[in-house]
Amino acid sequence: MKEFVLDCMGEACPIPLVKAQKKMEEVETGDVVIVQCDHSCAMKNVPEWARNAGHNVEIDEVDDGEWEIIIEKSV
Amino acid sequence: MKQFFDRLGKNEYYVAVFKNPFSYVTGAILLSILQIALFAYSGNPWGVSGTFANWGAWIFEAVGGNVDKWYYFSSPGAQATLEAGFLNHTGTMSNLGIIFGALFATLMASQFKIKKIKSVRQVVAAVLGGLLMGYGARLAYGCNIGAFYSGISSLSLSGWVFALSLLVGAFIGSKLLTKFFM
Repeated sequence: MKEFVLDCMGEACPIPLVKAQKKMEEVETGDVVIVQCDHSCAMKNVPEWARNAGHNVEIDEVDDGEWEIIIEKSV
Repeated sequence: MKQFFDRLGKNEYYVAVFKNPFSYVTGAILLSILQIALFAYSGNPWGVSGTFANWGAWIFEAVGGNVDKWYYFSSPGAQATLEAGFLNHTGTMSNLGIIFGALFATLMASQFKIKKIKSVRQVVAAVLGGLLMGYGARLAYGCNIGAFYSGISSLSLSGWVFALSLLVGAFIGSKLLTKFFM
C-alpha cells in the first residue's frame, strides 16, 4: 500500500476533480490518494465522484477552509 | 467561549444549515422562491451582469466621465436608472447581497480563507475569462442569470438559445481548462 499526496491548493473547479480522477487511474488497488484542497466545491464533488466509483472516502477539515480528501482505491 | 464554539460546531442544526453545503434540490427551491420574490418586488426578473455596466458608468461619472452619448445608455430607461443613483438600484442591492451573503456564509461555516494565487497562468485566465464573460453578457443582453435563468423561467425562447450556446461554450472552455491547467 502506497500513499500519494495531490496538492490542489489554490486550484478551482474542476481541476482538483480531474487531477484526482487521473491519479486514481494510475495507482493500484489498496493505495491511498490524499487530495489537499481549499476550494469548497472540490470538497463536495471529489468525494461524490469517488464514492460513486466505489472507493472509500474520508474528509478531514485540517484548517479553516482547508481539507484533505483521503481516497482509498477499492476497485 | 471556546467551549461554546466547540459545542456549536457539533450541533446538528448548525452543521445542516451553515456547515454542510445544501443539496442541489434545496438550492434550486430556494433560488426559485427568492427570484419570484425579487420579481414581485422589483417588477424585473433577476439579473446580475447588467448591474456591472451601471457600476462602471457610475464610477466613470464619479471621475468626471460622461456616458450620455453612449449607445448602451442612450435609452430614457437607462438614463433614469443612472440618474436615480447607486442606492436606488435593485440590481445593485441584489449584487451586494450576493457578495456579502457569500462572505457571511463562509464566515458562518468558519471556512473563510484568503487563497494564494498559484500561478501567473491563473491570473491571465481569470482576467481574460472575466473580460470575455462581461463583454459577451452585454452583447447577449444578459448573463447566465439574466438571459439564461430568468429567460427560461419567463418561458422565453431566447433563454433556450442562450442555454444551447452556453453548453457549446462550456464544452470548449473545459477543453481549454484541462489543456492549460493540468
